[in-house]
Amino acid sequence: MARYVRIALITLALGGLIVLPLYVESTYVLHMMILIFINVIVGSSWNILGGFTGQYSVGHAAYFGVGAYTTMILMQFKHVAPWWGVWAGTGVAVVTALIIGSICFRLRGPYFVLASIAVAEIFRVSALNLKNITNGAEGILVTEVPPLTVGKTLITDWASKVPFYFTGLIFMVMIIVVTALVRRSKLGYYFQAIREDQDAAHSLGINPTIYKNTALAISAVFTSLAGSLYGVYVGFIDPSTVLALDLSVQIVMICIIGGIGTIVGPVVGAALLVPLSEALRSNAITDALIKAGVVSAESKVGAFLKENLAHAHVLIYGILVVIVILFMPDGVIGFFRKFGARRRTA
Amino acid sequence: MAILEIRHVSKFFGGLAANSDVSFDVNEAEIVGLIGPNGAGKTTLFNCIVGYYPPSKGEIVFDGRRMNGLQPDKVCKLGMARTWQKVRPLTNLSVLDNVVVGALRRTSSMKEAREHAHEQLRVVGLDTKSSLSAGALPIGERKKLEVARVLATRPKMLLLDEVMGGLNPAESEEIIQLIMTIRTKGITQMVIEHDMKAIMRLSDRIVVLNSGEKLAEGKPKEIVENPQVIEAYLGAEE
Repeated sequence: MARYVRIALITLALGGLIVLPLYVESTYVLHMMILIFINVIVGSSWNILGGFTGQYSVGHAAYFGVGAYTTMILMQFKHVAPWWGVWAGTGVAVVTALIIGSICFRLRGPYFVLASIAVAEIFRVSALNLKNITNGAEGILVTEVPPLTVGKTLITDWASKVPFYFTGLIFMVMIIVVTALVRRSKLGYYFQAIREDQDAAHSLGINPTIYKNTALAISAVFTSLAGSLYGVYVGFIDPSTVLALDLSVQIVMICIIGGIGTIVGPVVGAALLVPLSEALRSNAITDALIKAGVVSAESKVGAFLKENLAHAHVLIYGILVVIVILFMPDGVIGFFRKFGARRRTA
Repeated sequence: MAILEIRHVSKFFGGLAANSDVSFDVNEAEIVGLIGPNGAGKTTLFNCIVGYYPPSKGEIVFDGRRMNGLQPDKVCKLGMARTWQKVRPLTNLSVLDNVVVGALRRTSSMKEAREHAHEQLRVVGLDTKSSLSAGALPIGERKKLEVARVLATRPKMLLLDEVMGGLNPAESEEIIQLIMTIRTKGITQMVIEHDMKAIMRLSDRIVVLNSGEKLAEGKPKEIVENPQVIEAYLGAEE
């Protein structure tokens, strides 16, 4: 029974997402959805390495940036269409991942975390300084995305947000399906065995180096796809956006908030964090408070909030994250599962 | 016929010799007890055999193949598996999934691995607990889970590191029966144990280590009467 409910829910959600652009014309909503998709993709990719294999990389911006830069450089300077460029991006990301993995996976636990941060910083600093390849701090601005045609028929000219919406949706469905498949396979069992106890896994015939690198490679493929999509969609990348430590942390946050090691965790995490950070940044909270009559716009408090709340968005975001981690250490998904289990036994 | 040959194995940690010049053979389908006072180098020898670290000197030959420097996963592939003195369950996985991980060593089919895992759980008597999380098991059952997990890799030889440590007499008796059952499957076993009664009953032969060196080797009866062994355990008479 639970199985049919699940299938029905998935079909319903997917159907809803497919028809959404037909009914919603607000570009802002579509923009938010695309950002959520991108965040689900990076969160789910990280989850394969961090959640299933237990290797907490805080340097995933490296693969995001490598994907974005490869696609953008190919498109802007070599006139390679992005739908070919993204695959070049994944290729470069996998090679990068295997080189980084073969070095960093010698380290365990917190030492691996530190190494992953350091490596991502190397990429950021390199992108800043290799000006003849990456344009350095100026970044790369897309002047034109070539239209996608099959034969003579125009599929899309990328003028609206809809084609990006569907690209994001497809990538997101792909990573979720891959996660579900991996989880049930030999690979998934090996990943989890390494997460639980690397030495025990090793003595049961699992080569930790090979499987950790496999997890990282899968993770890097999808992280780079998300990076490429972001680059082409936003139309501008520079080292401080696509290779930033902030981004690496954000990727981990999505999983921690949603629930590490679960398939829906990153989806929930992204669906909560993206609108939240957007609302904080755009001062939507102050506006809502004023509208609801909680504070008046003319009062001292109202003026203070209006003046300062938007600037404090990082602070508030941080406090909220700490609260969630304190009260829901297994993420939102873990919290509700435990809650559900308690109700069932009661 | 010897399935495992230990030839002049030494292991140094800095200047400390944890094993020095240890040699003995283990024959096929035999149960060999490895005993000695604390710090005698029993676990170090196990670690050298399974490739957790390479021996500093000497040679380890398993099933006709030199094992020095092979990683634990390769050693497991060749048919040698070990349990840990301090049990290492994959805590957040179910009991069944713990054993499935071992079973996947020999097959890629999840269905086959699950069936094989169920079979091993029946052998150790944990089949009714297969859906519990491994972290929820009490110590006695965790030890059994360790055994089921290594059995699932279809080994030719098992190294059991204190599988009875911390168990009550009834639980120990179950483990003794389990080791006997495993022997009927033709699997060779080397057992580290502190429970002298148990080891005397189980072993075909016993090897005694003391301060990293082999002190004696022989049938259980010979070992209990060996004055050197008595001295090592109880101290010399004044």
